[in-house]
Amino acid sequence: MAFLEIDGLRKRFGQVEILKGIDVELDKGGFLVLVGPSGCGKSTLLNTIAGLETITSGEIRVEGRAINDLHPSKRDIAMVFQSYALYPNMTVAGNISFGMEMRGVPAAERQKAIDKVAKVLQIGHLLQRKPSQLSGGQRQRVAMGRALVRDPKLFLFDEPLSNLDAKLRVDMRIEIKRLHATTGTTIVYVTHDQIEAMTLATKIAVMRDGEVQQFGTPAEIYNNPTNLFVADFMGSPAMNLIPATIGTNGNALSVVLQREAREPISLPMANAPAGLSAFQGKPIIFGVRPEALTDPEGAERNASNIATADCFVEVVEPAGSDTFAVTNLGGKGVVARLRADANIQPGTNTPLAFNLTKAVFFDPATENRIL
Amino acid sequence: MSAVTTPARQASGGVNARIVNRIVIYGLLALFALFYLMPLFVMLVTSFKTMDEIQNGNMLALPQAPTFDPWVKAWGETCVGLTCAGIKGYFWNSIKMVVPAVLISTMLGALNGYVLTKWRFRGATLVFGLMLFACFIPFQSVLLPMATILGSLGRFGVSLQNSVGTSFGLGNATVNLVFVHVVYGIGFTTLFFRNYYEAFPTELVKAAQVDGASFFQIFRRIMLPNSMPIFVVTVIYQFTNIWNDFLFASAYAGTGDAMPMTVALNNVVNTSTGVVEYNVNMAAAMIAALPTLLVYVLAGRYFVRGLMAGAVKG
Repeated sequence: MAFLEIDGLRKRFGQVEILKGIDVELDKGGFLVLVGPSGCGKSTLLNTIAGLETITSGEIRVEGRAINDLHPSKRDIAMVFQSYALYPNMTVAGNISFGMEMRGVPAAERQKAIDKVAKVLQIGHLLQRKPSQLSGGQRQRVAMGRALVRDPKLFLFDEPLSNLDAKLRVDMRIEIKRLHATTGTTIVYVTHDQIEAMTLATKIAVMRDGEVQQFGTPAEIYNNPTNLFVADFMGSPAMNLIPATIGTNGNALSVVLQREAREPISLPMANAPAGLSAFQGKPIIFGVRPEALTDPEGAERNASNIATADCFVEVVEPAGSDTFAVTNLGGKGVVARLRADANIQPGTNTPLAFNLTKAVFFDPATENRIL
Repeated sequence: MSAVTTPARQASGGVNARIVNRIVIYGLLALFALFYLMPLFVMLVTSFKTMDEIQNGNMLALPQAPTFDPWVKAWGETCVGLTCAGIKGYFWNSIKMVVPAVLISTMLGALNGYVLTKWRFRGATLVFGLMLFACFIPFQSVLLPMATILGSLGRFGVSLQNSVGTSFGLGNATVNLVFVHVVYGIGFTTLFFRNYYEAFPTELVKAAQVDGASFFQIFRRIMLPNSMPIFVVTVIYQFTNIWNDFLFASAYAGTGDAMPMTVALNNVVNTSTGVVEYNVNMAAAMIAALPTLLVYVLAGRYFVRGLMAGAVKG
C-alpha cells in the first residue's frame, strides 16, 4: 500500500470533464511531479488533493485513509501556492503562525515553531517584516516556511518557482531538493517546466487533457516515453521525431530517412527489436534524442549499435557547454548535440553518429510507442 | 539662411504659444473655481457678520467685526419649528442615525462582496445583477411601499412591547431610518466590494482554508484588513449620501424628536415669522455640512495605494 493513492479520480465542471480517471500513487518520502502543458488538469488535480476542489468520483487516500471528503484543514497537508499567497496584512511571523493560531496552538509553542522554521530557512531576520518588504526569493522562502511549520503528511506545491527569475529559480529548485532530502517529506509538485520535473522528482506523471500519459521515474519517462506526446514534451532540446520507414539491408532491418534532393539515409539496425519487422515498408516515427546524435568521436564508446551517416549541417549553435548542429531529415529540422569543441562548419556535410540503442519508434497513426 | 533661422523662430513661437495656452487654461480653471467657491464664501462670511452688517453692507464684503454669535445661536438657541433650542439636538439625531446605517450597510456590502466572489454559488451572477438593479431604483418610487412596511414593523413592535416587554426598537423613527438607508445602501456597497474582491487574489482565501480558517475568520482576518481603500470609499459614499438625505428623512422622521439635521435645517430656514436671520441660517447650514467635510478630510488620508503589494507575484 502506497502512502498516497489516487484511484480513478474524475472531476467534471458541468459537461466538461477536467480529469478523466487519474490513477497515481506515491511512496512515503517520495517526490511526485505533475507535469504537462497549461490546461492539462495538473493544478486541478493538486487542488483536489488539497481539498480546494471537490471531486466527481474516485478516491484519494493517504496512508490508506480516504481523505476526499475532508475539509482542507483536516487533511494534514500544507500547500505552497504559485503566487505565494502571503497574507499582506500580517508580518512574516504572523503568516507562518496563522495556521497554528487557527488550530488553537498556544502562543509559546507557536513562537518555538516559528523560530525553528526560521532557522531552517534562514529567514530569522525577516520575521517582523510585511510581505511587501520582501524580495521574490524571500517571499518564496516564507511561503515554504508557512508550509513547513505544519509538519504535515503531505506537501503540495503549485508551480512555486514560476514567478522567479531564471537564476533564482535554479537556486530555489536546489533548495527545495535539499529540503526534501533533509526532511524526508512527501511532496506533490505541479509544474509545466520539464526540467524542474526531471531534476526534482522521484516519480513523474506527465499529463495531457485530463489524462496521465505516462507515470514513472524520471529515467523511465526520459528514456522510454510511451507515446509521442511524452517524448516531445520531456527533454530540452526536445527529442528529434523524424518520419521514417523500415527497410531491409540484407537480412537486417534498417531505418530509412528521406532527405531533400539527396538519396535517403539508411541506418542498419543490428539486433533490431523483434516487433519492428512488422512495420517493414510502413511509415513510422523515429525518435532520437539530441545527445544520441553526435559526432563520431563523441559517440558513446560502449553503445552496441551505432550507425554513422553524412548529414548536411544547416546551422551550428555553440551553447558553451555543448554545440548544437541542425540538419534536415525526413522533412524536419533535426538537432544533434556535439561536444563544445567539435570541429563542425555550417553548410558542410559532416558525419553524424546515431546511437540506435537509445532510439525509440512510434506508430504515426496511434502516436503510441512501438518499441 | 532662412533654413537656419526658421527652426529658431519656430521654437520661440512655440514657447510663446505654450505660455498663452497655459494662461488661458489656468485662467479658465481659476474662473470656474471662483464661481464654484463663491456660494461657500458668501455663506462663510455671512455667518460671521451681524444682522446690521448684512442688511447694510455688501454680500461679498468681509465681516468688519467677526462674531461667533450666529454660530452659537444656530447651535443652541435658534427656533426649529416651535422649539427654540438650536439645531444641536438634530445634529446628534443625524449622527445616531448615520453612524449605524453607514457601518451596517458597509459591513453587509463587504460580506456580500466576499460571498459573491470567493464562495460562488449557483445563481451568484443573478443575485449580483438584482442587487445592481437596486442601485437604479428611484427613491420616490419606494416611498409609499416603504412607509407601509415601516408601519407594519411599528405595529409589530407595539405587539412585541405588549407581549415581551421590549419592541427591539421597531417603530422608533431613528431605527426606521437606519433600516431604510441600510436596505437602500446595500446595492451600492455590494457593488463596491464585489468589484474590489473580484480582483482580490483567491489564492489568499485558499491558503487560509488550508490553514484552517473558517468562513468568518477568513473574512475578518484576511479580507477586511486588506480592504481599507474600498472600505474608505464606501464609508465616504454612504456617509455623504445618508447624511445629506432629505427625502427619506422628511418622509419617515419629518416631525418629532428623531428629526435629522437636514429636515431641521429646512425648518430653520423656512421660518415664516420675524426677520430672516441670514447669519444664523448660514451658520446652521455650515454646521450641517461640516461632518461630511470632516469625513473626507479624515478618511481621505487612508486612500493608500499599493496596500496589496507583496501579497502575490515576485
